[in-house]
Amino acid sequence: MNDAPILCPLPERIDGDALAQIRRAALHHAAGTTVVLDCAALSTLDALAAARLLRLIAEGRAAGIAVRLAHLGDAVRRALTDVDPAILEEDLPRPRRNPIEVIGAHALDAADAAAAVGTLLTDTAAELAVPFGRRGVKWDRTVQQMALVGTEAVPIVAFISILIGVVLALNGAQQLRQFGAAIFIANLVAISMTREMGPLITAIVVAGRTGSAIAAEIGTMVISEEIDAMRTMALSPVRFLVVPKVLALLCMMPLLTVISNVAGIGGGYAVGVFGLDLGSSAYRMQTVQALLISDVATGLVKSVVFGLLIGLIGVYRGFAVRGGPEAVGRATTSAVVTSIIACIVANAGFTAFFYVTG
Amino acid sequence: MTRAESTRVLVIEDLVAGYGDTMILDGISLAVDPGEIVVVLGATGSGKSTLLRCIVGLVEAWQGRVLIGGRDINAASGVGREEILRGVGLAFQEAALLNSMTTAENVALPIMEHWEVDEPTALMLARMRLARVGLAGAGDKMPAELSGGMRKRAGIARAIALEPRLLLLDEPTAGLDPTTARAIDELVLGLKARGDMGIVAVTHELGSINTIADRAVMLATGTVIASGTLAEVRADPDPRVQAFFRRELLPQAARKNLVDDLEWRA
Repeated sequence: MNDAPILCPLPERIDGDALAQIRRAALHHAAGTTVVLDCAALSTLDALAAARLLRLIAEGRAAGIAVRLAHLGDAVRRALTDVDPAILEEDLPRPRRNPIEVIGAHALDAADAAAAVGTLLTDTAAELAVPFGRRGVKWDRTVQQMALVGTEAVPIVAFISILIGVVLALNGAQQLRQFGAAIFIANLVAISMTREMGPLITAIVVAGRTGSAIAAEIGTMVISEEIDAMRTMALSPVRFLVVPKVLALLCMMPLLTVISNVAGIGGGYAVGVFGLDLGSSAYRMQTVQALLISDVATGLVKSVVFGLLIGLIGVYRGFAVRGGPEAVGRATTSAVVTSIIACIVANAGFTAFFYVTG
Repeated sequence: MTRAESTRVLVIEDLVAGYGDTMILDGISLAVDPGEIVVVLGATGSGKSTLLRCIVGLVEAWQGRVLIGGRDINAASGVGREEILRGVGLAFQEAALLNSMTTAENVALPIMEHWEVDEPTALMLARMRLARVGLAGAGDKMPAELSGGMRKRAGIARAIALEPRLLLLDEPTAGLDPTTARAIDELVLGLKARGDMGIVAVTHELGSINTIADRAVMLATGTVIASGTLAEVRADPDPRVQAFFRRELLPQAARKNLVDDLEWRA
């Protein structure tokens, strides 16, 4: 510990600029140093100036620097006498963590989240093992969820898919026409839609509509103690809330993907037939010849996995809500972002897997 | 398990519990017999609500036992825990009704799940429970359409839906006008009159305490500082007990002076 205190005179007024200067002069010392702030020039101390001074002292404590005051005038003494010293203990600024610690903490959080999603998955699977009866799946709630997840999403999925089909066809046309191969637009659109774009577009729309709604609904129930109330009534929130939503997503995602595929191919057809004069029957024949059952099946398998990811992530984010309505908003955003990222990562994994396995 | 433990609706022994690293309850012991109302009182933050959450297993006990009808809820899981919870009704402070259901559906929910009855019968029984708490005709209303007092009554109706032997009430009259609060007190006394139900009411409303309490337990900083009949607790010499009942400020320990802390003395 350094024995000699460092003297630092305070100006007449402690405003924002003065605070920055005092901080530079007083707090850039090693831990264990004692800094004495000379208050001789300080004739008065209003509440704001006192807050600035105390903040400085608290920051000093956090850094291991003892900050003391000398030559206190009566007015300054009076202003500080009213303050409970306990506030210096509770308002210590958090020490900055080094980047490795921050990365480590994020990694641990991600591991915890993955474990929680895994637990939700096993709990959901355990509930699905009893499909009927009093302790079985809530089929009425599941059908209700299917309508929300599926039927109501049809217009937006179809609309976006048509546009994606149009864009794919127009971009393909620019290149393929140079080689006189414009008819292969049909192949491009059909295979892209069924293998990649259909499931992915559907997943993005459903993540935005349903993933967010799931997180918001469950998050709101958490903060209004509805989930706790269910638990005290010995009602399983997984059986009542999670299973119907996840089951609805598992059922409706492939159906929405089929609609997306058809709409996307329809968009490509419109460009090919009406924009590029490829001929209706020729385009249809080319599409049928290009498509394999495996292309469609690949997309449908993906869509089921995407549905599972969206459901579990939405539910996890909802259950993790702590605090008030603001936390519900954060959970909603987080559910959408995490679901979309998870679906894109899963899609990349699927594509790599199918490429390697042929 | 002793005979007393099996006949009592609730026995809490040396309960220690908290959230994260923070201990909230430190060695709480309590027993409730059928047909009596035990009021848990104490200042805000003394651990009253946490105690209720521990009883129903929403907060895990770190140590000690919570015996409901002679069975330890913390040692039970799955169907065993469900059986124990069927014998307990908890009315939350803010009612915690499921907002997506009507009031009658809220009350019917545990009935349909735990008693194998069809929906119309469960709804009829739910309306009977609602009428019991003075909410006849409110069954079709959504929770958002109910006033604060009605929500609390609906919460109590749901809590008694399965005719539990143990009823837990979290601040049943907090935030209500004196007349509505008195009506809820009368409702609680009416439930007690049934004779087989033990009631634990957490409250710091002096009016309610005086009206409903058979026995009282006073908590401060997570420990029991006084217990017994209401008269015994009132007579307890602990200054915190006396300050509570007389609505007085607690004597403050002499506060340190910031200037003494900070002034430099060479």
